[in-house]
This record gives sequence, structure tokens and C-alpha cells, in this order.
Amino acid sequence: MLMKNTTNYLRFGLFHRFSHFLIIISFFGLVLTGMPLAFRSYGWARWLYEMFGGYPTAGYIHRICALITFFAAFLHFAFLFVCVSVKKQKGYFWGVDSLLIQPRDIFDIIADIKWFMGVGKRPNFDRWIYWEKFEYLSLMWGTLVMAVTGIILWFPAQFTKIVPVAVASIIDVPSIALIVHRYEAILAAGFIFSIHFFHTHLLPEKMPVDEAIFTGKITEAEFKHERLIQFNRLEKQKDLESYRVAPSSLFVSFLTRLFAVPILITGLIMVGLMFSALLVWAI
Amino acid sequence: MDYKREGSLTMGRLSGPGKYRLIAVFVSAVMAALLPVALFAGDNGPCIDCHTKTDKLKVQEKAKIDPVTGEIRVVSMLVDEAIFKTTAHGGSDFFCTDCHQDLDGADLTEGHKPNLKPVDCITFCHDDPADEYLQSTHVKLMKEKNKDVPTCKDCHAGLTYHYTYLGEESPMNVPRGTDPLHRKITIDVCGSCHTDYLNSYRDNTHGQVTALGHTTTDVPVCFDCHGKHTILNSSEAESKVGKERILETCGKCHANIGASFVKHIEHPQIKNLNYYKTLLTALKKSGGDPEALKKILLNPQTILCIVFVMYVGILAFTFSAFGVHSLLGWFAIVRDERTRKGHADEEHH
Repeated sequence: MLMKNTTNYLRFGLFHRFSHFLIIISFFGLVLTGMPLAFRSYGWARWLYEMFGGYPTAGYIHRICALITFFAAFLHFAFLFVCVSVKKQKGYFWGVDSLLIQPRDIFDIIADIKWFMGVGKRPNFDRWIYWEKFEYLSLMWGTLVMAVTGIILWFPAQFTKIVPVAVASIIDVPSIALIVHRYEAILAAGFIFSIHFFHTHLLPEKMPVDEAIFTGKITEAEFKHERLIQFNRLEKQKDLESYRVAPSSLFVSFLTRLFAVPILITGLIMVGLMFSALLVWAI
Repeated sequence: MDYKREGSLTMGRLSGPGKYRLIAVFVSAVMAALLPVALFAGDNGPCIDCHTKTDKLKVQEKAKIDPVTGEIRVVSMLVDEAIFKTTAHGGSDFFCTDCHQDLDGADLTEGHKPNLKPVDCITFCHDDPADEYLQSTHVKLMKEKNKDVPTCKDCHAGLTYHYTYLGEESPMNVPRGTDPLHRKITIDVCGSCHTDYLNSYRDNTHGQVTALGHTTTDVPVCFDCHGKHTILNSSEAESKVGKERILETCGKCHANIGASFVKHIEHPQIKNLNYYKTLLTALKKSGGDPEALKKILLNPQTILCIVFVMYVGILAFTFSAFGVHSLLGWFAIVRDERTRKGHADEEHH
């Protein structure tokens, strides 16, 4: 929001903003160098692959970005470990602050569907909306799957050494890894560039970008509109003031858009090309 | 027709009527020995000297009939030295006269005679590939089952293949086996018959990289694994991809591989509809017999197909479910903004 003189609250701390930044950089690097292989028969794939130096340069970039992803994943779990085991903080696995599925998410989904159908009002949410949890959990699952299959494809000779011949002649691990890596990648890239973009950044009320993940800040109006239950809870617990921050300057907002908009456009073009390829294939 | 007469006719055009032939040959040999302009094997200099410069050539272009296809083309008499040196025949131990043998020792003072004999690749040099080819499974199928299999010209197309694909190039400029464009062409040539194998190759790591146009020697094309002329079915012991030799074949690129590595499926059938059909027929035939079922399911190709189908399902479900969710959410927000409906509890704040 470019409005001045608004009350602002901190939604994402520096650590989470930095993590999201790392994921953006590595994810785009991985998709732009990897997707040409999955869509190898299309002209754009060849062009994109050459843009990143072709074989084997694009492969090296892909592996460097994979290492950045591993680093981001390591940071995430180290953070979780410090908070849960060292600082003994509660609420990471259960309750309103947890990113794991809670019973109330089921009711939220039902309430949301009612709202879609026009039979109910827009439901109010707590800190994490159910689809945000789904996105988080699929990122965790997806990263695990991509990392394991990616490492198998990175070191096929070493990996097959530990597989007995009897097993290898029935279960071809590198081939399974390739299929899983390719289609999980299409799933992840397609999901982020369409569903994630349209659920967060490209909502009619956020267009073109939800700045919260870059500046960390949301206005009071946004807070109440999106997560009223959390707002009320914090207000009741008299915690709200501790989250209060100065609004971000016009310059910071501008920088955020300067960084995010080209990336969003790149993602949309990618998903457009991927979807058009599917149509061509289906026709 | 009188053989002698035909022979003398040919010779007559080359070096004068019958009885003067010996004298003519002797004289030209003496001249060749004395004059520096005479052409000798072992030196490309005099050829390159004229054939790279338009002003030194009497004839710039000639019509040429392809000895195999009968096609008539206009061929330039200019040689691009830089290109020639990168080709299979451009090595330092090859000479123009190795192929154009009728020019060996020719007198170049007035320029050489205009019409050269067609170059006979097989008699001069390439007799080994034929020997190798005769041992291949292609030939075996031809002999035993009378199959229509590719012979030399189907792949080499009387060498016209090279110049049609590489632009109007002469057989002189036949590219080397390491030439990326040549390697790319060989995939198309093999794939023009082995369509299913080409498609499944494209679904694997090697094939997806070559599909993007990278065909240098660090990514294998068909012949790197299956061999060039003695291509044998993988069931044969001597085959490069057979049990005995596969470790050595894969090992050319992949260091430190074990017996499990070579169990890799290079041609996955995941997108081959016919494979699914045969799977279904086999399943129907098994009639629920656990032993038969086990045999069908414990097959690496079948497992790959199951993984693939599973992923297609996951993709279809995720995108349709979340796509509908996103669209509905979007429309609901727009609808609320139009009718100015708020949240369930918003009135209280």
C-alpha cells in the first residue's frame, strides 16, 4: 500500500522475508534452466536453454540454484530447531500460529466454499489461511521430492552403486527419479506461477504484488480485512502494539515493485508457455 | 558392344587415340617430373591455390548428375578451405588426389581436364564399413526374414544426405562423426524408421538434451551406444548394448559405474500408447493369477508407466481443484466489491 499515515503492523520478520527472497532466486533459476528439458520439443524451450548458456552451463546454473534451495531449506529447519528446542517456544505444531493443518481449517474451507457460492459472507481467518498452509506444506514436500530425485540424477553412478542388482533390474531408480523430478517440477512451477500468484499477489485487492512478504508490513485495514480473528486476538491479549511498525516509504514500495513485477511477469509467461504446450499436445 | 572399343573410347577422351597412348603417358610423366606445376599425391597446395580463388578458375560452376539418385545439381568449383579442414576428409593425411585419382600426376600448366570421374568411395577407401555392416542385425533380418532394411544409401543416401541437410555441400565436405550437425542428423535418420525408439529416447536424459540442439560428443546419440555399422540387437551377446558389453559402452562416459547402473532403461515406454494396450491385454489374459500378475507388475517399464500415470493424475487433480478455487475466490472478491458486502464480522469494527 502506498498510503502514508496508516497504522502498520509487522507480518513477516526479516528471516522469513530473506527466506522467501532466497526461494525466489533459486526457484526461478531452477525453473528457467530446467523447464526447457521438460518442454524440449518447443522453440521457446530451446531459446530459453540457450539464454542460460545451453549444455552444460544451464545444468551448472541449475545445480547452483539447487544448492541455494538446500541452503534455504537448511536455514528453515535450523530456525525451527532453535525456536522449538533451544528457545522452547510453543505453538509451532498446534494452535493458531501453527502451519500444520488444524481442525478449524476444515470449517474454513466449508465457509469459503459457501462464500464462493454466494450463500455466506467472506469468512474471517486467523494467522494462516488454509491455502497458505497447503502452499507451505507442498513447498516442504516438493522440496524434499525434488532434492532427493535431483541428487539421484546428479550422481547416478554413485547412487546406483548402493542399489543391489536384483532391485535395480525391477526398480530403475534413476528413471523413476527423472520422471518424478520432471512432473513434480511441472507441478511446482505450474502451481507457484498460477495458483500462488493468483491467491496472493494477483488478487484484485493486491494487484500487482502483496508487499507484505517483501517489506514485512501490512496496514491495519489489510490486517483486519484478511486476518480479523488474529487481529482481534492480539488486540484482546494487548499484544497488538508490539507488532506495530512505521509504514514503509514510497521508495521501498517502489523498489519492491521494481523487483517483484518483472519476476511475476516472467512466471506468468512461463506458465502460459507451459499451458499452451499442454494444449498443443492435447490437440 | 565391343569391350575393347568401349575401353579405347574412354581412354581416347582422356589421353589420345590407342597407339599413341603409351607415348602420351610417357611424355606426360616426364613433363610431370620436370614441371613444378604438375600435381602429385601428398600435396593439396596446387589444388587449393586455384580452387579458392574465382579469378584463377576457368569454370566456376558445373552441372553434376548424382550417381545414385540421378539428381542434377549445379556445383560450385570453389573449395572453402576452412570448412573442408573441419570435415572427415580434411585431415592432414588426406589429399585431393586420394579421391580424384584421375588427377594424380596431372599436368596443370593449362589447367586440368574438365570432367573428372565420379569418385568411387567404396573401392578407394570405404570397404570396411560394408564388411562391418554385413555382420549387423539389419542384414540378418534381410537374409532371414526378407525384411526391407536400410542399406548404405538409406543412411548415407549416396552421400546426398549430407549436402541436402547441410546446404548444398559436396560429398567432399562429409562431416566427421564428431560434427554436432552430423550427429544430430543421424538421430533423425535412425528415428525415421525407429520412431518409437526415437520418442522414448527423447523422454530420457540423453534425448532431452539432444532435442534442445546440443549434439556434441558429450551427449550420446543413437550410434554412440548402438554402434555405427555393426548394429546388433540388444539380445545378441556381441551387441554394444547387450549383456556382455553394456558396462563398457556406458562406461565410456560414466566413470565408476556398477552392474546396477546399466539396468537403467534408456527407452522408457511411458508415453507409448501401444505399451499400455499390451499391458492391459496381458492383465486381462492373466485372469487374476497372482504369478502372472507379479510377472507383469514387477517389470521396470510397467513401474515407470505407473509412476507416470500417477503424476498425470496428481497434476490433473491439483490444477483443476486449485484452479477452480482460485477462479471462484477471484470472482467472489470482485462480486463483494461490487455489492460492497463485507466480512462476516466486519460490521462490528
